[in-house]
Amino acid sequence: METQAFLVQQIVNALFLGSIYALIALGYTMVYGIIQLINFAHGEMFTAGSFIGLIVLGALQRMGFVESHFVLSMFVVFAMAMAYVAFLGVAIEHVAYKPLRRASRLSALLSALGMSIFLSNGMMLSQGVSDRAYPPVLGTGGIHVLGARITYGQIFIVAFAVALMVGLNLFVKKTKLGKAMRATAQNRRMAGLLGINIDKTIRTTFVIGPALGAAAGVMVGMYYGSVRFDMGFIPGIKAFAAAVLGGIGNITGAMVGGMLIGMVEVLWAAFLPSEWKDVTAFIVLILVLYFRPTGILGERVIEERV
Amino acid sequence: MMRKLCVFAICLGLVFGLHTLAAAKTLKIGTLSPLTGPYAQDGTDILQGVKTAVALVEAAGGIPGFDKIEVLPGDSACDGGKATMAANKHINSGVHAVVGAYCSSATIPASVPLNEAKIIQITPASTHEDVTERGFKYLFRACPRDDAQAAAMVSFLENALKIKTLALIDDKQTYTVGLTKNIRHLVENHGKIKIVAHEHIAPGDKDFTAVLTKLKKIDPDAIYMSTYQPEGSLMARQAKALGLRAHLLSEDAVYHPKYIEVAGKAAEGSFLTFAKAPDTPERRNFEAEYKKMWGVKKIGSYAYYAFDAANIILGAVKIAKSTDPDKLEQVIRSTTWKGATGTIKFDHKGDRGASYIIWVVKNGEFVPYWNPQTGQYF
Amino acid sequence: MVRREIQRFCIYTLFLTILVLPMVGMRGPEFEARRAFTVLSVLVGVLLLTTVFRLLRETSFYRNLGQRIRQRRDRALGKIQVLPRPVALGSLFFLLALFPFAANNYVIDVAITVLIYVTLGLGLNVVVGLAGLLDLGYIAFYAVGAYTYSLLNLHYGIPFWFALPFGVVIGSLCGCIIGYPTLKMRGDYLAIVTLGFGEIIRLVLNNWDNLTKGPNGLLGMDKPKLILPSFSDGGLSWTVVPLKSLPSLYFVILAVALLTVIAVHRLNNSRIGRAWIAIREDETAAELTGIPTTLLKLLAYALGAVFAAVAGAFFAAKLSYTNPNFFVFLESCVVLSIVVLGGMGSIPGIILGALALIAIPELFRELASYRMLAFGGAMTVMMVLKPEGFIPATRRKRELHEEELESEEAADE
Repeated sequence: METQAFLVQQIVNALFLGSIYALIALGYTMVYGIIQLINFAHGEMFTAGSFIGLIVLGALQRMGFVESHFVLSMFVVFAMAMAYVAFLGVAIEHVAYKPLRRASRLSALLSALGMSIFLSNGMMLSQGVSDRAYPPVLGTGGIHVLGARITYGQIFIVAFAVALMVGLNLFVKKTKLGKAMRATAQNRRMAGLLGINIDKTIRTTFVIGPALGAAAGVMVGMYYGSVRFDMGFIPGIKAFAAAVLGGIGNITGAMVGGMLIGMVEVLWAAFLPSEWKDVTAFIVLILVLYFRPTGILGERVIEERV
Repeated sequence: MMRKLCVFAICLGLVFGLHTLAAAKTLKIGTLSPLTGPYAQDGTDILQGVKTAVALVEAAGGIPGFDKIEVLPGDSACDGGKATMAANKHINSGVHAVVGAYCSSATIPASVPLNEAKIIQITPASTHEDVTERGFKYLFRACPRDDAQAAAMVSFLENALKIKTLALIDDKQTYTVGLTKNIRHLVENHGKIKIVAHEHIAPGDKDFTAVLTKLKKIDPDAIYMSTYQPEGSLMARQAKALGLRAHLLSEDAVYHPKYIEVAGKAAEGSFLTFAKAPDTPERRNFEAEYKKMWGVKKIGSYAYYAFDAANIILGAVKIAKSTDPDKLEQVIRSTTWKGATGTIKFDHKGDRGASYIIWVVKNGEFVPYWNPQTGQYF
Repeated sequence: MVRREIQRFCIYTLFLTILVLPMVGMRGPEFEARRAFTVLSVLVGVLLLTTVFRLLRETSFYRNLGQRIRQRRDRALGKIQVLPRPVALGSLFFLLALFPFAANNYVIDVAITVLIYVTLGLGLNVVVGLAGLLDLGYIAFYAVGAYTYSLLNLHYGIPFWFALPFGVVIGSLCGCIIGYPTLKMRGDYLAIVTLGFGEIIRLVLNNWDNLTKGPNGLLGMDKPKLILPSFSDGGLSWTVVPLKSLPSLYFVILAVALLTVIAVHRLNNSRIGRAWIAIREDETAAELTGIPTTLLKLLAYALGAVFAAVAGAFFAAKLSYTNPNFFVFLESCVVLSIVVLGGMGSIPGIILGALALIAIPELFRELASYRMLAFGGAMTVMMVLKPEGFIPATRRKRELHEEELESEEAADE
């Protein structure tokens, strides 16, 4: 393999991993922006989405629907997974976070942690302890660019991720509900006084954030080919780091942060001793935050009490 | 405030007190294995293997002198602190023997109180040398050791596959690092094969393309994946997707039906070390019963070892006609056991002999391929 | 009222149906109706009970009953309070000292673990509860303590008690190193940076094979020893007794935990403690009143780390074994849960929190794989029911009640 091809291939690897992190990070950052809560259970939403995707995809494949209507069945798989996890998100918000909206932030954080443990063990009990194989739908075909191999699966997933991110940005900037969300994020009380339904806005956030996480879960399942009950934990932590790195509460920041973490991890492992890649990712995180204490794109200094 | 604390503490004390009262005339076997967390699959296999052994013995009339055989599950996670607590709990519940633990990092600390309490312990899964190198009298190992497994693989690479270059990948855990260390040691001593890369991944990661692309550039003849099954499956898939030509090699933690299920076609042609058990009536009997009892189609590899470990304990109690640990230890050490994983004869350290052979994945099945003891293909 | 409850019940049931049926029922290709509907009916049953309970709560009968129970309880508890404080504390101490003679090894082992976590919880309380700095990587200091003792003992044969001061110094140095870059950060940025530091320390221990033997862990450290007088061969001589048995180790960790309780209690009421609380409440204002915030924040990290390092050294000595995978992120979360669940800043609260999080799951070992499910669920339920913890610190409780009206503003910031 030539050096140029090697480099291009590694950059493709990094972009792909980065876009997965970015997509998960969006869910963290949205929830944080609105209610200043680190939603520890977000990694589990990602896993839940992956499982539902597997269930729906398996059912469709047994009916022979995937071969005949590929695009439609992909749409159904993603839609079902996202809808299910949106329900889950709303339910969790109602049960575990809403009663704590006025309590100390740490109490809410702990409640989220409890939910995370509960969901991950619940999925372990209901879906089994071992990893489950995803039906191979993406195939192994691909194209060669500058000597690097890019599979159609990768292209499909990155395109879909970018579409989701652009769609989200438009939603938040242009629609009425999106504007309400931004207003709530800025000043909840003022937004309430201006006639914005705060409860509804927060609920919307808990529909969109988890749904994006679910989409990422289905993508990861399809691309890597397996799902397991605890697979949300490590990407969850990395995506959380990405969200903070980009400036938590900032949607563009989450994308930048996700890409950066993906880049650091892949490029370090590509050229230097690979066992130190996670250490490096965290050191980069700390250095960035040392020089820019509110993240790369974060502006507001959020003052709060623990 | 102090009041609440006192009331709570007293209640807790009472419950704990009552908790340890219950005792009856039964033969008790404790298990230690991870029932929660990332290794819960193997941990559950171990528990089920022990329960299958007990069910078979009870169906055959049980053990004279005991009305009942009870299996007490213990969740050791993969954590030394939790494992010793679980071990101490077993000691207090009066277990006569323990099957477990799974991770070497749990077995090592848990064996200390068990050995002091003179309770027979047979680990079905911890392959690290340190487990038995400490010379514990009551500790046995029903699975072969890391160094034996590495030797089988290296012999295969040098004499059968005859490769020139080898790359190692491990995920920096006790078990996986033990294997790569042993392989590196043997290969470098023999000097026939060159190790061209030694990479590491993190357990729980899903994307290994960075490391695999690096290996593609180096282009070794073979890649030794020292990981657990979930990572192994993903790595095989990604290696094939990147178009690596190297042979994929791996070990017994990857030898699980799930490896082929998840990796699919990418698993074809990979070579794995795993104990070869002759197709004995014991094995067929176990497989039939296990599948019936737990409603599964394929059996995880540690279930076999756990089944044998439990059978050795039950058999020893039967022969010794007592649960005296010194007598049991004598019987276990001096008897040649026939089990689902072949014949087992423990040496002075408590290790069984190695019976590793090389398996190949062919048409979605593990098939015996080469025997390091004889140097013959199957 | 009734109508609203029924409406609520119906909506919740609908949600449960949607959430439970596919996840529980579709494990394989076929829908396992029995499994799915069993789980669903159990959950709906619980829901029904809470709905009935909520309805009953509104009735006058329940209100009277509740009042009577509360009166009874207050009267019963009042009798305990009659004991003067020193007597109460003295008898508590007496009970703790006698405990190992009445208990079996398993219970003592659980008690040792609880005491280790009490020490950890109180140490983290200095950082989180008093100084108000969120720390998600606290377990790293525990690891530093464990590894410092292990390495000193294995390489230089330094006994436990002499290794402790080294552990303390190295632990507090690490605290400062971690504290320094985080001084400028606040709240959740602090959370991820401390989490990152925790992971870095664990990974360094795992990767630095030459020093720490990496994932193999270190094996064979000595237990703590005591020098005791003996009168056996006529006349006084001194013998070195290694503390091998669990009861003797219990006394060591009991002493450590008691010292920690005393230290944290004294800190709580000292000038430093009050300065920390001032920083927690409003850093800018605290700085303006002349409190050296930088120094005090570093001190909080360093002191918090010291307690963890001592607990870590004890843990390594007790097991004679240490391994990097004992110090994962989840452990940090457990310690944080002890502090928050028990009640931040409250010493009895944290002791109760450690009992609840370490001892109670031990009782439910029979639940096996359901244990962690219950643990997570209980954590959320506890937080929702008692957001300020089991036993909130008196000072904090006062604040919370004053804040009742202001809390809305606080949430808006």
